[in-house]
Amino acid sequence: MPTLLLEIGCEELPAGACREAEAQLPVLSERELGAPPTHVFVGPRRLALLLDDVSERTADEWIKGPPESLAEKAAAGFAKKHGVRPEDLVVRDGFLGVERPGQPLRDVLPERVEAIVRGLAFSKSMRWEDSGLRFARPVRWRLAKLDEETVVGETSFGHRFTHGAVEIPDAKEYADRLREAEVEPDAAERRRQIVAGLDAIGGWDDAAGVLEEVVYLVEQVVVLEGSFDERFLQLPERVIVTAMQSHQRYFPLGSNRFAFVANGGDPDLVRAGNENVLEGRLDDASFTFERDVERGIDELAKQLDAITFFKGAGTFADKTDRVQALVGELGGGEASSEAARLAKADQASELVREFPDLEGYIGGEYARLAGYPEAVSAAIEEQYLPDSAGGPLPQTEAGKVLAAADKLDTLATSFSLGHKPSGSRDPYGLRRAGIGLNRLAVEGGLAIPRSLLDEEVRAFVEERLEGLLDVPVEYVRAARASAAADLGSVARLAESLHAERESPSFDGVYTAYDRAHRLAGKSAGDAAPELDRSLLREEAERALAEGLAKVAIDGDTRKALESGATLAPLMERFFEEVLVMDEDEAVRANRLRLLLDVRDTLGRLGDFSQIPR
Amino acid sequence: MAAPTFQDTIRALEGYWADYGCVLMQPYHTEVAAGTMNPATFLRSLGPKPWKTGYIEPVIRPLDGRYGENPYRFQHYFQYQVVIKPAPQDVLDLYFGSLEAIGIDLRRHDIRLVEDDWEQPTLGAWGLGWEVWCDGMEITQWTYFQQLGGFDVELVPAEITYGMERLAMFLQGKRSALELEWAPGITWGDVYRENEREWSVYNFELAPVEILTRRFGEHEEECRLLLERGLPLPAYDQVLKASHTFNLLDARGALSATERAAYIGRVRNLAREVAQAYLELEHGADAAT
Repeated sequence: MPTLLLEIGCEELPAGACREAEAQLPVLSERELGAPPTHVFVGPRRLALLLDDVSERTADEWIKGPPESLAEKAAAGFAKKHGVRPEDLVVRDGFLGVERPGQPLRDVLPERVEAIVRGLAFSKSMRWEDSGLRFARPVRWRLAKLDEETVVGETSFGHRFTHGAVEIPDAKEYADRLREAEVEPDAAERRRQIVAGLDAIGGWDDAAGVLEEVVYLVEQVVVLEGSFDERFLQLPERVIVTAMQSHQRYFPLGSNRFAFVANGGDPDLVRAGNENVLEGRLDDASFTFERDVERGIDELAKQLDAITFFKGAGTFADKTDRVQALVGELGGGEASSEAARLAKADQASELVREFPDLEGYIGGEYARLAGYPEAVSAAIEEQYLPDSAGGPLPQTEAGKVLAAADKLDTLATSFSLGHKPSGSRDPYGLRRAGIGLNRLAVEGGLAIPRSLLDEEVRAFVEERLEGLLDVPVEYVRAARASAAADLGSVARLAESLHAERESPSFDGVYTAYDRAHRLAGKSAGDAAPELDRSLLREEAERALAEGLAKVAIDGDTRKALESGATLAPLMERFFEEVLVMDEDEAVRANRLRLLLDVRDTLGRLGDFSQIPR
Repeated sequence: MAAPTFQDTIRALEGYWADYGCVLMQPYHTEVAAGTMNPATFLRSLGPKPWKTGYIEPVIRPLDGRYGENPYRFQHYFQYQVVIKPAPQDVLDLYFGSLEAIGIDLRRHDIRLVEDDWEQPTLGAWGLGWEVWCDGMEITQWTYFQQLGGFDVELVPAEITYGMERLAMFLQGKRSALELEWAPGITWGDVYRENEREWSVYNFELAPVEILTRRFGEHEEECRLLLERGLPLPAYDQVLKASHTFNLLDARGALSATERAAYIGRVRNLAREVAQAYLELEHGADAAT
């Protein structure tokens, strides 16, 4: 059985489009060619499929139609839709249908090739000719072969600048012939060659994920090493790295060296050209950096009243005021307060306008250069941490306070403007901010008072805690309803409730809470506003009230549970000896109040009704 | 072989594209922030008529000035602009031919087409294409227009915009545009450094905000009056003047982010109305949508 080659030749496709095509081609191959590809080749100038041992005829097709019983009503319409006469419909297993016998693959290949080209969908596509075809970039040739026979098109093409048309004598020789023409069609092989080249140089780094783009930027892999003048090393390291990665797609090698991947050319010329370009970029960055430094961080901070934070949320000067106030509420010291004053100054810098990713980092650098203490500078640098779910936390105390204050403000401001995350849309990064706040509290040990969050934001933030802690969500929900004063306490309470769940005191508190809640929870409206001791007629209810007065729900969870559990026998006796629903309305209201007080006192440890038993 | 001067390179591009059959145009007579805004590109790319042109364009971007002190940034620099409508099958090869014509050996250098999705919100325009890199230097922006003034193009044009300073820096091996040789013995800096300094002072420090704010409104008003009279070409000049006035206000730091967006929206609306009027004339009054 023959080997089928299909190649779609394009003008240079973006890396993202290559990946989209890579994902769709196997499915399209099955749909249009009846079999998955043996190999998919994806690169900037060509998308290709190789199918070994394809059947020379397409499979017979059976298009199932309406049940035979509905033939009178539905047959004509169905037949018309499929372009056959009603009398040509065939009955199988009680259903009408159309039989389409398989055809020679050779005959249908041209239309199948077009169907694959048209079947590829890209997140960004364009028109370039009258046909109305849309594709990520213009399609310039198509080649389809069955072994030695060319069915669509004429030739393939080699490297854009060193080779022209390339004859593919046999589909099986596709990759070899292209390799002779300085094209490596296989993305995985290009990736392997790039990594091997970088490994041979050694010490490479790819924090920015440049590799995955570069694989689709070249057809031929030439890994080169370059360097720049050491005088640029006085620039902050991340400025250098950002200039390399964001503009040039280079791999930093540390110090003044870098590696990059070319698509061919004379290595010495190409290296010299790239070194020149990078030095130009660094010159430009130095110029910008020096202008910022000359203005100084205090001067930059003064310009924040002209820069909008985001629409409706005031300027960065307003944000600075709010963050400073929050730092105070979080009990931050002098360093964090000073850091808050300067935290957003770099938004007025030219360097951040150029490289937004440097925000925070470069503010810290500018603070150091202006002679601010390290505690202040480090806090400015750390203000956006953690910036990912598993990313590092600020290391300094002032940094933690500032990072929390910044997130609190972003959350409060966004929610007040109605910018809540919905589905996958979260343009203001509020989920990340919520998770960050919890991590600052739980892992960073920062006391973040829950009173600083209004109800809606607090619910949003604490919901994030459910995913963060390694305890069943019911315990987190129970703890969220507790009287815990700060986020970290909620987390610790959830964990300790879970740890204590098998203990007798947990059981005692749970049972007491549960019984009180079940009986009185729904009748809260009938309860007296306050307990009236003079109305306590029975010994058992007096004992419960006295016991309740002694319960201390503070501090250590285990001790609180033990204290709360002292109510269990008293509750037991209460329910044996006292009829809550007394005929005297005042007595009844007072007893309901007593039970609610029991529930609410124990409820300071959490809402036990959330925890299933 | 000595490296070509700046003016040699302009002449080589003129010659190459003239030989191909382009109409050689000249810079437009009012400020534009890109060669794209010259009506020879913006308006002629709309409508059903084929068109081929090439021209040098001084582009004016007040915000990018650095008093002539930065080797890379200027408020006034040069683009060589080529538009071919509709784009022929071999349009990329034609472009690569132009690089050979100005002295780039394509086999010895690393020429790369890197994704660049072009968008110009003030003109309601977008297209897909590339930055063209030569040994890492971005020497050209390459775009297949898809929409201009909010209207789909009828014949898809290829727009080739050579960044002349970068291109010449590559050809002459210079790290600063100021050091480029413009003509034998005369540098780019000799010709334009003082110009950069003076205009930067004007753009950043002296441009009169109140007068400019008023002027923006006047250009807007005049544009609409001209459109009422069915004159899209002079109306388009008012769009360009309004756009440049906005750029000056922006350089003066006179606009908040919200105001900025509002001004961009106003220019975009004018550009759309002019595009519509132009298309109506091109198609005959009733055919345009």
